Amino acid sequence: MTTATLSHTHRRHRWRLTFQRYLGLTLNIFPPFIYILLLFYVPMGMMFLISFWKSGYMTLEPIFTLDNYITFFTSPIYLKTLYNTFIIATGAMILLVIIGYPIAYYLARMGPKYTYLILFLLIIPVEINFLIRIFAWKIALGGNGVINSFLMQLGVIQEPLKFLLYSKTAVMIVLIHEWLPYVVIPIFLSLRGIPQSVIEAARDLGSSRYDIFRHILLPLSVPGLFASMVLVYIPMLGEFAVPALVGGPSGYMLGNVIESQFLSAGNWGLGSAIGFILLAITLVLVALVIKIAGVEELL
Amino acid sequence: MPESTPGLEVRNLTKRFGNIVAVNDVSFEIASGEFFSLLGPSGSGKTTMLRMIGGLETPDAGDIFLEGKKITFLPPEKRDVNIVFQNYALFPHLNVYDNVAFGPRRRKWPEDKIRREVTALLEMVHLSGYEEKYPRQLSGGEKQRVALIRALILKPKLLLLDEPLGALDLKIRQALQLELANIQYEVGITFIYVTHDQSEALTMADRIAVMNKGRILQVGTPKEIYEHPVNRFVANFIGNTNLFEGVVKEIAGQDVKVDVPGLMELWGIASENHVAQLRIGQRIAVSVRPEKMRLSRVKPQKPGYNLVQGVVDDLIYLGVSTEFLVRLPNDQVVRVFAQNISREDELWSITWDEPVWVYWRPERSLVLADEAPT
Ligand SMILES: Nc1ncnc2c1ncn2[C@@H]1O[C@H](COP(=O)(O)OP(=O)(O)OP(=O)(O)O)[C@@H](O)[C@H]1O
Ligand SMILES: [Mg+2]
Repeated sequence: MTTATLSHTHRRHRWRLTFQRYLGLTLNIFPPFIYILLLFYVPMGMMFLISFWKSGYMTLEPIFTLDNYITFFTSPIYLKTLYNTFIIATGAMILLVIIGYPIAYYLARMGPKYTYLILFLLIIPVEINFLIRIFAWKIALGGNGVINSFLMQLGVIQEPLKFLLYSKTAVMIVLIHEWLPYVVIPIFLSLRGIPQSVIEAARDLGSSRYDIFRHILLPLSVPGLFASMVLVYIPMLGEFAVPALVGGPSGYMLGNVIESQFLSAGNWGLGSAIGFILLAITLVLVALVIKIAGVEELL
Repeated sequence: MPESTPGLEVRNLTKRFGNIVAVNDVSFEIASGEFFSLLGPSGSGKTTMLRMIGGLETPDAGDIFLEGKKITFLPPEKRDVNIVFQNYALFPHLNVYDNVAFGPRRRKWPEDKIRREVTALLEMVHLSGYEEKYPRQLSGGEKQRVALIRALILKPKLLLLDEPLGALDLKIRQALQLELANIQYEVGITFIYVTHDQSEALTMADRIAVMNKGRILQVGTPKEIYEHPVNRFVANFIGNTNLFEGVVKEIAGQDVKVDVPGLMELWGIASENHVAQLRIGQRIAVSVRPEKMRLSRVKPQKPGYNLVQGVVDDLIYLGVSTEFLVRLPNDQVVRVFAQNISREDELWSITWDEPVWVYWRPERSLVLADEAPT
């Protein structure tokens, strides 16, 4: 039959096309794939393995055990630190969005003349070495720091505000300062990508300024909003330098626990286990964000 | 036009952008229910005109009245006017249903009324079942129809359409032209339809305003504009025409004798307004449409006709007609359309380089001004 033959050759042809495309794709992604595999996933796989090994101070034996995970989930201190980490990162992220969205909004609505100047000014501080930045914040927030002295001079307060340094607040302030541009830029870009004619159409159909924000700008900037949230939330969950320098005991985060397990407690098994717990929580949260926001649909 | 207040009146409207005068002292009136077309080349100020009527642009001078009420400075959300944008401007994050329901929701219509109206309109434009689709899943023609009913659902007094079919290919454009004209007839809403496609304006509009460089040159029915263009620009822009440059020799009533140097003396007519301004010796142009001219192998015995001999430079067979390009003694090439009626026709066998006579009745040649006569 002609049709049978036709469809047969057709199928074979299609198969060959698919194969060629697949082959081409493989060759293209091969080098970066190897690179990522060797530099990230192999070490991660090793860490994952170690997290199930019997481990103590400076000892590590390849004997399977769940002890490292059990230790973490039965220790009130670790759980408290996990809770702190979550509170600090989430709090900072919420504040980042509250501060960053309006900045992005005004940047996007401004004439192009000053937009880039302001973006530039926003990014400059981030380019300063982060240790210098953190120390600068220590000077600003400390008991004799700029903020406290100023407020006392004004007579607003009698005693220095203690919660400004070595606290969750301090960690949040520094994190917000550090990550603000990363929140502003994606939101700015998604707002600026909205065609003027879409906004005009909304006006033409009877929208007030609030309606335009609520029904056009906000929903259309959701991809940027969630991109920026994911972008800053993951590194903030794993943060250790900022809490180490300005956090004090109450601002201690999981990153510090992991760091000390590797560098001072010498317990690699427990350190790896906590690392993977943090990773698992992060992945679940990101998956949740994507699911709730339907980001795949919008991206 | 009816004697009562016009649906829309535009009075001395002007808009500048820096040095550019986008719309220059424009005035016109549109009757309620009219299908009015703004026609002009790119950059002639059509969009600017429309945006001022829609409230998206503030005029520098002049006024706009909608059914007698001044709306010059009213914001768009307060005008009974809606716009269909050139690039559709559908809301990308909303599906078809929510796009169409956007306006009614801002006006707090009850949801069951919205559902009824949206469903009816979708049916009218043959998009039932598309409610859940997103703009990016629609073809150009489908987007266009959604944009149309999204604006129509509010039953504005006036609907402004900015080259709504400009981005579509010819077949769909022609189908939608017909559909649009029918819809306009059904809903009875006044349409201002911007286009730079003269054939679109000719087929669809009740009246056309021809714009150039921010000014309206002529307003009239398609027939008036085609048959009696007021100046050279309009004659050239609407359809094809042959222009003869010459000097006025004699004026008798509306009949004007024109000397075309190196070619012929011909008779034409000028409009009543124009003839009053004509003087002997004035340089003018005469326009003759290609389909008004006739061809003949032998010298035609037609007393009083304008008559000139030339050589067939080229001919283009178009199915229903043939277009002859005839080179005249002054080296000017004129276009002549001839209907392909029968094989026995003497024109059937005319071919390249053959000498032919071109002739036409004097009243088919229009004496034109450079500027519209005032
Ligand atoms: N916002 C603006 N700023 C500066 N100049 C403008 C602006 N809008 C329009 N113009 C200028 O005004 C003139 C008329 O533009 P307009 O968009 O009204 O033309 P148009 O007839 O709609 O043309 P097209 O057929 O290409 O759409 C043009 O010279 C254009 O460059
Ligand atoms: Mg335009």
